[in-house]
Amino acid sequence: MSRLVSSELLKLRTARTFWGFAAAILGLVLLITVLGLALGDLNSENSVRSQLSTAAGTALLVLVLGVVFGAGEYRHGTIAWTLLVTPDRVRAVTAKALASGIAGLVLGLVVAAVTAGIAVPWLSVEDSLRLSGGELAALFLGGVLLTMLSGALGAGVGLLLRNQVAGVVLLLVVVFIVDPAVSAVAEGYAKYSLSGLVTALSGGPAEDVSGDELLPFGVAALIWAAYTAVIVAAAAAITARRDI
Amino acid sequence: MLEVNNLTKRFGKTLAVDGLSFRASPGRVLGFLGPNGAGKTTTLRTLLGLTLPTAGSATVEGRPYRELRDPVHVVGAVLEGPQFHPGRSGRNHLRVLAAAAGLPESRVDEVLRLVELEGSANRRVKGYSLGMRQRLSLAGALLGDPRALVLDEPANGLDPQGIRWLRDFVRARAAAGHTVLFSSHVLAEVAQTVDEVVVVSRGRLVARGTVEELTRDAAASIRVRSSDPERLRAALQGKGITADRDAGEWLSVHGSSLEDVGTTALEQSTAVYELFSGQQTLEDVFLELTGETDAGR
Repeated sequence: MSRLVSSELLKLRTARTFWGFAAAILGLVLLITVLGLALGDLNSENSVRSQLSTAAGTALLVLVLGVVFGAGEYRHGTIAWTLLVTPDRVRAVTAKALASGIAGLVLGLVVAAVTAGIAVPWLSVEDSLRLSGGELAALFLGGVLLTMLSGALGAGVGLLLRNQVAGVVLLLVVVFIVDPAVSAVAEGYAKYSLSGLVTALSGGPAEDVSGDELLPFGVAALIWAAYTAVIVAAAAAITARRDI
Repeated sequence: MLEVNNLTKRFGKTLAVDGLSFRASPGRVLGFLGPNGAGKTTTLRTLLGLTLPTAGSATVEGRPYRELRDPVHVVGAVLEGPQFHPGRSGRNHLRVLAAAAGLPESRVDEVLRLVELEGSANRRVKGYSLGMRQRLSLAGALLGDPRALVLDEPANGLDPQGIRWLRDFVRARAAAGHTVLFSSHVLAEVAQTVDEVVVVSRGRLVARGTVEELTRDAAASIRVRSSDPERLRAALQGKGITADRDAGEWLSVHGSSLEDVGTTALEQSTAVYELFSGQQTLEDVFLELTGETDAGR
């Protein structure tokens, strides 16, 4: 499996798409960190948490990157090469989801490093750093876990749908239409929605999700991992029966 | 050994392959011929595990492709159609495959040299000509130095030197004991390259044998150019001899002799300008077997 994951990571590194997304994520983190610190409210723990949980803002981009990566092989026809070298389709799909997760992890580390590098000194100077070292570490590690799981989930969606545009549109519809709509009518749903899980994982305050209670970090991570596992398993099962 | 046994593949209501059977053996080049839509690509993709059979089987060394533990050393394939990320270089395309197969990067350079693509290896594939893409496909197929090659229209886009290189290469692989199965619509090329031919039409096997066997067994046609081809054709048909109008003043006469055609022309007071017996080529046989004659189109 390790050589398949290495091959998938090489696919990511040798196409401009990944570097374009990485640049966009870096730019977004810089923007929201600096603007948030310069213009945001830094007078409470919740507001500081909100400024530091930049992984939440980048998770959607990592999800989209995963979809593009997962479905890209079908767009370009390279899936035939992949399956000629790796006829076991379950292994091929799993390797791609793992590689996308690793890419998400690396991007999450960059996001955490950039945010911490700017925000911690800034907040210290303004005497507004209202979190302990342990709380900061948990917040940033949660963000890294979030982007890692986002990469894997996005790849699963892309592999399942085989179409980049359809995958991205579906993702946006779920995040911006379905989740808010269901949260509005079904009490208690918001914390299980993608937005709720993102906030729980990235260490943001509960008020960022419609005022609903957030799930504990570990439970949120398990639920997101379960979503990912179900979608990747479905992609593997369907890919195994598909004509390419 | 590549073997297709009573293979049937259906896409919805479309029957793409219908009970097809053939075998490609080590040390031999098997040509796989048929008109567009005959089921060639579907058959090859099924052999390679990309398409699932509706019935029957397609096996490589006795096993379905999907069950091969180390496929790159068993079969190399060149497929038809787009199969490259346009923004990735040729070398990186091969590095990706080599990494998945556990092959060293030095093997990438070897196959690039083999297909004479090392000078363009670092360019993005979107800048490649069709011929360069075919060479890159072939390089991918050869990465694992496989015992068998499955080539779907490998001559597409190659220039004459490239086609000759491919022919020599394929012959050398077979001479070294490897199995080669390749489809092509360039029949003159096939005739010079293959040991045996399988001809399919509408998903079914219509002929199998060496090129010599197929062209020898087919009736030679007589070509005649005369002052009144229509009158001569009618007279020949009156004697139960089949004659087809060709372009200009030409007729193709089947199942007759030069003497009979000449005598009939004399009886009709028709001047004969040219008269000869034409040896059937593989193309003639192919068109006849697959119903793709001028009259049949």
